[in-house]
Amino acid sequence: MSTDANPAAPAAAPSSPLRTVLLALPMLLLTFFFLSGGKVLHEPKVLAAFIITYAFVNVLFILMIHTGKTDRYRAIFFITYAVMFSVSFISHMIEARGAMTVSDDEALAGRVPFCHIVTTMVLIPAALSKTIIFWGSMTKTYASIASMLIIWIGASLALGRGWCSWACFFGGWDDGFSRLRRKAVIRNIPVKWSYLSFAVLIAVALISAAVMEPVYCSWVCPFKAVSEYSPVTDVKTAVQAGIFITLFGGLAIILPVLTRRRMQCSLLCPFGAMQSFTNYISPYEVRIDPAQCRKCKLCIRDCPTFSLDEKSLEGGGARFTCVKCGKCVDSCPRGAAYFHIKGTPLHRNAKIYRMLFLYSAVLFMAVFGGGTVQNAVLRLINLATTGRI
Amino acid sequence: MTFHVQGFLLGLSSGGACLSMCAPVLFPYLLGEGNGVGRNAAIAGQFLFGRLAGYLCFAVIAWAINATLAGLSAYRDLIMGCTYLPLAVLMILYGLGRIKTQCAAERTASRFAGLKRDRRLLFVVVLGLLTGLNFCPPFLMAIAGAADTGSLAGSLLFFAAFFAGTSIYFIPAPFIGLLRGGAVMSTVGKMAAGVTGLYYAYAGIIHLVEGVYFQ
Repeated sequence: MSTDANPAAPAAAPSSPLRTVLLALPMLLLTFFFLSGGKVLHEPKVLAAFIITYAFVNVLFILMIHTGKTDRYRAIFFITYAVMFSVSFISHMIEARGAMTVSDDEALAGRVPFCHIVTTMVLIPAALSKTIIFWGSMTKTYASIASMLIIWIGASLALGRGWCSWACFFGGWDDGFSRLRRKAVIRNIPVKWSYLSFAVLIAVALISAAVMEPVYCSWVCPFKAVSEYSPVTDVKTAVQAGIFITLFGGLAIILPVLTRRRMQCSLLCPFGAMQSFTNYISPYEVRIDPAQCRKCKLCIRDCPTFSLDEKSLEGGGARFTCVKCGKCVDSCPRGAAYFHIKGTPLHRNAKIYRMLFLYSAVLFMAVFGGGTVQNAVLRLINLATTGRI
Repeated sequence: MTFHVQGFLLGLSSGGACLSMCAPVLFPYLLGEGNGVGRNAAIAGQFLFGRLAGYLCFAVIAWAINATLAGLSAYRDLIMGCTYLPLAVLMILYGLGRIKTQCAAERTASRFAGLKRDRRLLFVVVLGLLTGLNFCPPFLMAIAGAADTGSLAGSLLFFAAFFAGTSIYFIPAPFIGLLRGGAVMSTVGKMAAGVTGLYYAYAGIIHLVEGVYFQ
């Protein structure tokens, strides 16, 4: 039952400059500490990379508070993060291995960085046979298995599937391409297609347990195209490379452009499907106030992951696949869509709920992604000044 | 220790691996059917019956080709290619079977749905048979064990006992029917069957090519 005239609308309303500064102050201090690593930075290029990243994160956060818009500024960081991740990761791999490709020797030595998507395939074999079916190291390497699993558990508890909009270093690619056109060419996509990612999750989890190999990484992952892959040496690896490039082109570029939706994240990503279940344990959710909603369906049209439909509007909230990007919150002209904290009263205090969510999400994004962005900025400064990345 | 005790213990010790090999086929099918625990138990029974038939086929083959593991292993890729491809076709057809979405494949899909309704029992048994004809590590050990028996009866008995040991691991499978979700779970199960079918199609082609050209 709604208690205010238009209670959620203030969440999207601009804040005064003074209020904005006061609300942003803790974030300014926290990100300063985390991005600097608690060290005094003397080297000019490192200092410049820190200042650029620090300013970038905090200007976006201040704009989120000041304008009341969430997704508009989140997307800027998220897309930049995805591109910068590729810059940082690929140049790191070239530095460490001399190539973007991962050789059999590197794999056998357990020096392949662990990515969160692999989590979907390692859990069953780990539970059944105490074996991690991945060519990485538990603790000793760049992006080790243990560190990524701990980060994933923390993010799941805090943000649930919000990971997919605030932390995933791949999601920015299709998020970015989904924003290139003002209007979708392909509309009215049946919501049932979003079940496909759950089917992929079941299939890759079971097949990986059967063959004791992360089959999604070996055969499907579109983001191999912008991270690392096996060198093309025979027919098999040529087919693999062909699949990666085709899926990246199709699901992360062409379909997002045509549909204005995050098609890779919605239709294919098994991690996104698994992460949907963590929305049940995360304290944050997106709710719809039925009293304010005028069924204009702007939120359904704009939702990038098919997480809103007429049925969910009637139910007063987004489906459990919600990535908490805030696009519906931004687009609702009546402020009916709002961030909510489970267990607290509905349809009131929307501004406080949103601020608490933003602090969790932006801080996680800054800590987890800020280091990568900072590293990529440093590499780009090196490229500009010395010609070497 | 007698052959059937050996076979049973081998099945018991390696049944987890057998379950993991069969799960990508059985679980999407059980999800796709969307039945309760009782009906799922019947389906799992039919699947296991097919698997037993597959095992007994191998028992006969193992005995017929003079019961040498090396003799069978020489045809490993060919046999796996020949079993994976029909399995892939069945899984993909099942995936397309009754998806109620408005798509270009609907007319074609509904044709296969009729076919499946008529032969549902046979379908599950064939799925079990094709997964039974598999060179997974426990199965290779079973072939070696059956070879030691030296007779057709001993080989059959060994494989039957091996089957009984591995089947214990399938007892939880029908409880997938406790998952709530109705039509959504059913659609997800069918889609998962289709995706699994695509994987088996790829694996079948690779095995067949390697079996024919690189033997």
